Amino acid sequence: MPTISIKKKDLESLIGSSFSPQDIEQHLQLVKGEFKGYDLKSDELKIELSDSNRPDLWCCEGIARQIRGKLRGEWGDYPFFGSNNSNKKSGQIIISADMKGIRPYVGGFTATGVNVDDEMLIQMIQTQEKISEIFGSKRKRISIGIYNLSRISFPVHYKAAPPEEISFTPLGLEEKMTLREIIKDHPKGQVYGEILKGMERYPILVDSRGAVLSFPPIINSREVGEVQAGDSALFVEVTGLDIRLVLLVLNILAVNLHDRGAGIGAVEAVYPYDTGFGRAVSIPCAFTKSLNLSLRDVERVMGERLSMDAVSGLLEDYGYRVKKEGESLEVTPPPYRDDMMHPIDVCEDIAISRGYNSFKPIMPSQMTVGGLSDIELFADLIRGYMTGSGFQEIISNILTSKEEILYKMGLGEEKTVEVDNIMSISYSALRHWILPSLMRVEAASTESFYPHKTFETGEVAVSDEAGNLSSRTLMKCAALVSHPAANFSEAHAILEALMYYLQIEYRLMPGDHRSFIDGRMGWVYVGDEGVGLIGEMHPRVLTGWDIHMPCSAFEIELDKLLKIYKASTS
Amino acid sequence: MAKGETREIIDSLHPLEIRLLFAFEAGKVIDDSLLISRASVEQAQKDMAIGWLLAKGIVEVTGETVERIVALTEIGERYRDQKTPELRIYETIRQTIRDNRDVNMSGIREREDLDPTEISSAIGALKDKGIVRIAQGGRIEIADESPVSEFEDIQTLITAVANRGEVNLSELSQGEQVIIEGLHRKRGKTKGVFRINEKVSRTYTLTDLGTQIHAEVLQRGKPADEISQLTPEMLKDASWEGKSFRRYNITLPPPRMTPGRKHPYKEFLDSVKDKLVAMGFEEMRGGLVENEFWNMDALYMPQFHPARDIHDVYYVKGPESAREIEEPFLANVSKAHYSGGDTGSRGWQYCFDVGKAKRLMLRSQGTAVSARTLANNPKIPGKYFSIARCFRYEQVDATHAQDFFQIEGIVLGEEINFRTLLGLLELFAREVAKAKEIEFLPAYFPFTEPSVELHVKHPKLGWMELGGAGIFRPEVTIPLGVHVPVIAWGLGLDRMAMVALDIHDIRDLFSANLDMIRTKRTHWL
Repeated sequence: MPTISIKKKDLESLIGSSFSPQDIEQHLQLVKGEFKGYDLKSDELKIELSDSNRPDLWCCEGIARQIRGKLRGEWGDYPFFGSNNSNKKSGQIIISADMKGIRPYVGGFTATGVNVDDEMLIQMIQTQEKISEIFGSKRKRISIGIYNLSRISFPVHYKAAPPEEISFTPLGLEEKMTLREIIKDHPKGQVYGEILKGMERYPILVDSRGAVLSFPPIINSREVGEVQAGDSALFVEVTGLDIRLVLLVLNILAVNLHDRGAGIGAVEAVYPYDTGFGRAVSIPCAFTKSLNLSLRDVERVMGERLSMDAVSGLLEDYGYRVKKEGESLEVTPPPYRDDMMHPIDVCEDIAISRGYNSFKPIMPSQMTVGGLSDIELFADLIRGYMTGSGFQEIISNILTSKEEILYKMGLGEEKTVEVDNIMSISYSALRHWILPSLMRVEAASTESFYPHKTFETGEVAVSDEAGNLSSRTLMKCAALVSHPAANFSEAHAILEALMYYLQIEYRLMPGDHRSFIDGRMGWVYVGDEGVGLIGEMHPRVLTGWDIHMPCSAFEIELDKLLKIYKASTS
Repeated sequence: MAKGETREIIDSLHPLEIRLLFAFEAGKVIDDSLLISRASVEQAQKDMAIGWLLAKGIVEVTGETVERIVALTEIGERYRDQKTPELRIYETIRQTIRDNRDVNMSGIREREDLDPTEISSAIGALKDKGIVRIAQGGRIEIADESPVSEFEDIQTLITAVANRGEVNLSELSQGEQVIIEGLHRKRGKTKGVFRINEKVSRTYTLTDLGTQIHAEVLQRGKPADEISQLTPEMLKDASWEGKSFRRYNITLPPPRMTPGRKHPYKEFLDSVKDKLVAMGFEEMRGGLVENEFWNMDALYMPQFHPARDIHDVYYVKGPESAREIEEPFLANVSKAHYSGGDTGSRGWQYCFDVGKAKRLMLRSQGTAVSARTLANNPKIPGKYFSIARCFRYEQVDATHAQDFFQIEGIVLGEEINFRTLLGLLELFAREVAKAKEIEFLPAYFPFTEPSVELHVKHPKLGWMELGGAGIFRPEVTIPLGVHVPVIAWGLGLDRMAMVALDIHDIRDLFSANLDMIRTKRTHWL
């Protein structure tokens, strides 16, 4: 989740007191923020915010608000969150019916008496970017436009336009371009054009005089949509696919500007279709609902007795409005938060407000019996035999490549579990056997003191067309010996000893396998079931791995052997 | 020196040193060759053992002479077998003349298996000595046979040197020395019959300490009477009785061997496994390949929301989708996402995409294993853990491996609440990290509420995050059929393992370098 940089001085002035970086680190617990560093020279604080459901905290204003409320009980007065439609409107956005199938929701507000300076501009852009990129899924679900209010004449129209019909000068360029040209040639169009792919008409915001504000979610117009230091009146607009997110983000941006002294004016969005919040939505809008929870519920989650006063006090300290009714609480989150899906979410805020370390830990005391799975026990048994036989255990990565698990082993194409979104060809397939992992060790260890005796027990994934997940995860064990006289008989002797102690009767069936020397390879069978293979590594395979020492090896399937083992000992 | 002290020295003597000491006589000087013959040791053995005796101050060097040792070169060895070219050619000429035939240079060249320069220089030598002369038409005649004896002497000397292998130049007669000086290979030249090597020969005598030790060694008896290696035969025929065993210098370094051994990182994981089992945790296992449903949807991570983007995942290539998703879990979970279902939640309020839920991927978090356990009639109360291999779509570097272990688990029971959650984490901090100082921080995980990060003070790393945990949201547990609170916990122990193994690159936890694996020492207790 986002890492933001803010000025310590800015944070302090928004909170109203000064802090040491250590104090700040401590207070960041209130916002699930991780202190990433402070640069004394630039006064820059780096903070990572972990809660993906609280974009209101991804900015200096939001962090300051939460800390200020807790420390000083000052929660700000946001008078513009009046009831819908009753406020005086600063303007209107008229939505055309065809937007429903394109990018259905838009809202906005005005901010006046703002003192836009360079630092504020940087912070505004940072907030805009973090919210639209991360919370807005790279502008798909949310995009934000900020304009110089003085250049706009209301009402603003949100409508769909054919790609060739309208042209305007986008931010960052000098010349007029059509919407299609912007998608094709403008850097932002190239990045975000994907969102509008397949659409015959594109969203556009124009004012009453026909001046283009922007082409959401791609780019603002240069004439209207460029905010500069010195501006004092702004129009803020958000478009998106989900009305709740649009309203939430507008509320966050409104309180942020208000915290910096702006006067917020409501803008009414007038829809020809229903939004879930009526057809005329006055924004900012306190749209979130209150939740009811009982003191018992809170106590059960927290694990201790609490008083109504304590709980409501903690919640108020954290920004909630609370109504007490006997043993139950009606809590209303602030309008810039929409992360309360369940009363449990309120419980966490109670704990954060009080401080996690104020709760005394209690050891869970209910008796349970611990234990390992049978396959893990079986693998451990085999690990014991193998280390006892002088073998060094190896542990390897499972995500590797067909080059290693097939081609370098002398094998042709086979169905294995492969990655679709490959980042590197070296990590593009799951191993289906372990021997290649041991060969990898051999290839990397030609300088290491001989003899080499290595083994690995571990997971592999084998293709299983009929299975629900088209593959199965199995546990296998491979062992390899490498020294000037390494041969079949040595590997066989180890296998023989292992099977003796496992009390499993096995036999070898001569076979063909291109990893091994012809006539020195066998399939390991128990009854009619193939459970593994054994052989002397083929010199062509060794050379392919750049191994200059004879090797012999075997590999067995532990899931099958476990079944046989359990049947034979029960 | 007291007897005890000399005894210590004698006990440490190598059998070769003792053999040499037996060759010494008190108060007398001995040279290298005598030492070799008396002690019947090889030259190299003598060199080694005399070096030790000198270093210990038992013998000292009394003199040093440089000897010139004569041996045959390859050419000399050939002349030994086939005679010198001069003799061969002389005999050929004589034989041909006896057979009443003429002989000339080309005739000799045809008959003798010698190279032309050898032939011409040999004939030149015979001519110079006046033995042959070249008559008209190139015919070779014998002029005077008497100087041939000179060449016969050379041949005799070659045979004599060959028979003795090496000869000290000074042991030869004046005449022989002249011959050798004339025929030895000069520095930088390839030809030559004899080779003269200079050899430093020393003479030694016993020091005072040596004399004392020598006397005691003689008294103890010949090393031949000591047993070096006890054999089954000796045990059988009791021939070891009455004999002493050669004392070993047990302080010498032993030969290298490589024992069979657990992998150091696996050993660490084993110790974690053991601790978890001891705390009453039962192991759960899952597959390397999962679908998005169990990896994410069942954990209430919304399909189209930043909470889903906490990490990127690897998707699986053809077939891309699971055939089906188990009911009633699919229905319950999709309802929880859409409207909360019967969980008391308002849900994420979007239409659940079953196609996306079926998408196959490489397991990205161990919590997927926990989700399947919840859906599979877990014990209540119950504690479970898994050490699960997970995969993340990230650039592989010193802090990100292509696959890694996640140590995760769940605790189910009526007693589970925020304080027992903290209690469990405190137990982990104490048992797994040996931490005395701990701190709980608010955290965010999409599937738990409340969520906690456990920070501990590590002796080497300082304050570090040891793990994350929380109580599963009702939107996770209720759709999977679990109606008691459930702790979900995860421990991040790789950093601890890396410190203990003194490695700085996470990829080295799965190193392919056998030397590194063999030499890493661990200290987990």
